[in-house]
Amino acid sequence: MSESILLGAVAYDPKVVTIWEGIREYFRAEGVDFDFALFSNYERQVDTLLAGHIDIAWNTPLGHVRVQRRTEGRSRSLGMRDSDRDFHAKIVVRRDAGIRTLADLPGKTLAVGSRDSTQARILPLHFLRQEGVALDRVQLLPFDTDLGKHGDTGSSELDVLRALADGRAQAGAVGDLVWINEQSAGRVDPRLVDVLYTTPGFDHCMFDALPSLAESKVKAFQRALFAMRWDQPAHRRLLELEGLREWLPPREEGYDSLRRALDETGGW
Amino acid sequence: MSRAAAVALDSGELPLGGGLLALLRPALELLAPGGVVALRSSSAGVRHDLPSWCRVERHAYLACEPQADGSDVHFIGRGSFGVPDATDGDAGDADPHTGFAPRGARVERGGPRYPFTLHRRDAVPPAQTTRQLYDQAIAAQWDAARDIPWDRVRPLSPAVERAVGQVMTFLAENELSALYVPSKFVARLHPAYAETAMFLATQMMDESRHIDVFLRRARAGGGQLGVSSVTTSRSLLSLLQLEDFTEAAFLLSVLGEGTFLDLLRYIERFAPDEVTAEIARRTRADESRHVHFGVLHVRHALGCEAALARRLEETVRRRAATLHGIGGVPAPIQDALTILAAGSDAPSAVARGHEAFRELLSEMHAGRLKRLVHAGFTAEQAQLLSELHTPNFM
Repeated sequence: MSESILLGAVAYDPKVVTIWEGIREYFRAEGVDFDFALFSNYERQVDTLLAGHIDIAWNTPLGHVRVQRRTEGRSRSLGMRDSDRDFHAKIVVRRDAGIRTLADLPGKTLAVGSRDSTQARILPLHFLRQEGVALDRVQLLPFDTDLGKHGDTGSSELDVLRALADGRAQAGAVGDLVWINEQSAGRVDPRLVDVLYTTPGFDHCMFDALPSLAESKVKAFQRALFAMRWDQPAHRRLLELEGLREWLPPREEGYDSLRRALDETGGW
Repeated sequence: MSRAAAVALDSGELPLGGGLLALLRPALELLAPGGVVALRSSSAGVRHDLPSWCRVERHAYLACEPQADGSDVHFIGRGSFGVPDATDGDAGDADPHTGFAPRGARVERGGPRYPFTLHRRDAVPPAQTTRQLYDQAIAAQWDAARDIPWDRVRPLSPAVERAVGQVMTFLAENELSALYVPSKFVARLHPAYAETAMFLATQMMDESRHIDVFLRRARAGGGQLGVSSVTTSRSLLSLLQLEDFTEAAFLLSVLGEGTFLDLLRYIERFAPDEVTAEIARRTRADESRHVHFGVLHVRHALGCEAALARRLEETVRRRAATLHGIGGVPAPIQDALTILAAGSDAPSAVARGHEAFRELLSEMHAGRLKRLVHAGFTAEQAQLLSELHTPNFM
């Protein structure tokens, strides 16, 4: 592979082009030879990274733990957004559903997001199982939209909130980001729904690389990435679009629950 | 972190998505990073939502203390992102990133850069004096339809009516340039110096009204508009093409509109009717405000930039060079002003009119000298600049 750093990202929204075109321009101004390739789904992106055709993959948590597993833990984690740390999922319930505790969920309909969404399906169900909820007696209403995008579009979470609002479900699982943003924007009727349960925290996206990635590329990538600043107008626009205030170094402890969940369900 | 220093709030039973943020966000916004809000809430959902909201907004969720009455007190530390900066008062240069935020607003950092090229304090006259001139301008606005005694237009001899039409055509043409030239600079002025933009807006409003009354007067006696000369056209184009605010203020307001004060006084003095006299009187009062602002601007700028006098002299020389060889005052306006002062086309009267016109030219020169010295030029510089001034007056 050339001296240029080639990064893979999944095109879950047209803004992804704007983000990475902007970051490419910024990286090049910083003297880092950088380009990107867009994928339609994370599975293809992970395969391509493992085949050595790209240097770095901007991965969802599911993509990240799969890369680590398939490299037997030897892959390199390069960085994450501040917003990727301490993610939580929420179980939101209709106030008229008579659900006071998690023990009231059996017999009710629980709307959940796409089966590859960490925050709206995989981990909420994992933590409910941990809390002792008999999921086999809970009627799931799944919204398997945008499969392959691992929940990035948030569309299945909005489907969950709609199902709660119109009464198709008495409970629903969403990530805290969508839940807070929808409330802040005034799109949730607080007289109708309330939060029943917040899962333990978990971490979200990660830049993954193969262990063979040249150290010079790792250093150049991290140097430019971590120099982006929220109060710089040119950076801020990109950071806003990508949903962060600052890039942070990687950490691994936030992915343990996801690995356990995949073990339990054979979801690898 | 001291919880004793916390700002206390009570949100009652409000859920996060049901109005609580309208209390919490303004309270946090007033704090420096690290400052603490203690929020009492009796909503159970807030226990779930507040930590998540803090995560999303990069505030620190510090603790929840359950109270004896079943409510909770949540402690939230103000995060370090999005803290607005104070914009200072009159002093200092302005930051093009503060956009249209009014001076004195607290501005969040990271906004886009605006294309305001006049963002240095030196670029504009002092705010307080400009504000006073703006207030005067607002108080002195008049109504072209109501305040001019249009019903008193009376028939004039054809020669004098034609002269009035020509004078009004010339005035309207020049005032159109005085409307357009300041407009070029309004959008370049940083809004921290809004007084200057606002004053220029009154100037543009004045010019609009002047154009209106001059054209109305030209037609009021049943006459037609006169001729626009190439000399006038060239002279005004050289004004419109200026790209420097101070150079434009100097040529337009100090030299051009300054010279127009003497011209309007002449028209008022020799006006063949009350309407023409009133128009000249009212427009001159407005123009004298523009001249005052121009002198203020140039005097301020001369005090800030040592090389400015030389630069303005070069600008005047360049302009004179583009107009070189076109002789004196454009013939149509020269003849019309002569007939106006004569009051008729009888040869003996015209001789007096011609003499009055010659006196006008020396009054204009003397007036320019006085204003140039007042603006801060030496007598020698003033003499040179006045002599190089355009024969078109404006």
